[in-house]
Amino acid sequence: MPDMDPIIDALTRRGAAQLAWLRGWRSFGRFAAVAIIEALTPATYNSATRSVVQKQIYFTAWQILPTFTLFSAVLSFVLIQIVVDAARNYGFAQHALEASVRILVLEILPLLTALFVGLRSGAAINTEVALMVVHNEMKALADSGVDPMRFEFIPRVIGGVISVLALTAVASALALVLAYIAVYGFQIWSLTDFNRVMGNIFDIPAIALLWAKVLAFGLAVTVIPISEGLAAPPAKLFFVPISVLRGMVRLFFVLMLVEVISLVLKYI
Amino acid sequence: MQESEISLISEELPLRANLSVLENVAIVPQYRLNMAYDQAADQAWSLLVELNRTECAFKRDPDLTSEERFIAKLLRAVIRSPSIIIIDRPALLLPDTHYPPFVEATLAALDDKLNECWIVDYTWNEPLYAPR
Repeated sequence: MPDMDPIIDALTRRGAAQLAWLRGWRSFGRFAAVAIIEALTPATYNSATRSVVQKQIYFTAWQILPTFTLFSAVLSFVLIQIVVDAARNYGFAQHALEASVRILVLEILPLLTALFVGLRSGAAINTEVALMVVHNEMKALADSGVDPMRFEFIPRVIGGVISVLALTAVASALALVLAYIAVYGFQIWSLTDFNRVMGNIFDIPAIALLWAKVLAFGLAVTVIPISEGLAAPPAKLFFVPISVLRGMVRLFFVLMLVEVISLVLKYI
Repeated sequence: MQESEISLISEELPLRANLSVLENVAIVPQYRLNMAYDQAADQAWSLLVELNRTECAFKRDPDLTSEERFIAKLLRAVIRSPSIIIIDRPALLLPDTHYPPFVEATLAALDDKLNECWIVDYTWNEPLYAPR
């Protein structure tokens, strides 16, 4: 039936695209599992891998610390002012501190940090890994007796997770200080009230969920770019931008998915 | 023979692009023997000194001449002390060099560090090599 040929071709192409999409998720899941197991294996850590972890933390967290701190401080200050003013206007001034801390520390700052690290370091990692595959550098490393997974990829995941945790902690601590100042002003006599509100917000389930979310963000911003880079075909340089594009889109969806799941677990 | 006992020097096995020559060589003992970076770098440096090529120690792959790149790949293999080093088609690695004497002189300088070295080349290049 010659009339059916275009339809069959279209369906075949569509099916192939769907399979490629599913293969991408499968390789992401597999790499995430391997990364977690390797990260928890003491044998992974030697002089070389520790150096890569240190470099990753330097480039992902330390190098951007001043800019990121300034940016998160300005954003936190503006959002806290909006929440505090709105709460006062609607007669909920007593809830202003709790609302601003819940919005910023539990929701916005962890997501913002993950997006910041993902856009900056995740894109760079994706490009570098794709270029490594294209130029056959992984095979060259393996031929030298250096396991590329343990030397290049696992340390990046560990460094990335530590960086996201550290940057989130810095931004959150700064937001707490700014929230205190915005609500109580420049004095220390309201620390007891402040601590009571913090105790209400940061109960054990909330802290556990926050830790789990930030860890998931940290894993996502490194595991997705690496697994997407590894999927690049050897010797095809034109594929590198496609790999980065796919990696960043997948990263965005995963970050949003983690955020939505955390919101569901917390509020529904 | 196990594959780990053989090191291949080939155009198809590049240096790690984001590492300098010194780091590319030092990473092998640093990773395989859990050697501290300073100690591994000293070992790599001493190999570069033996070949009088210390000027390329801190260069990365795109800044290297083909001779320097060949030296870096060779030292990355030598520092691992494999049973056999195979140099795959040296003409591809050293396109602008009269390579048989260059390769011979380089291997002679590292003679005490090499177990066995095989050069794989096309039969039509046989006249380029000294008769054995």
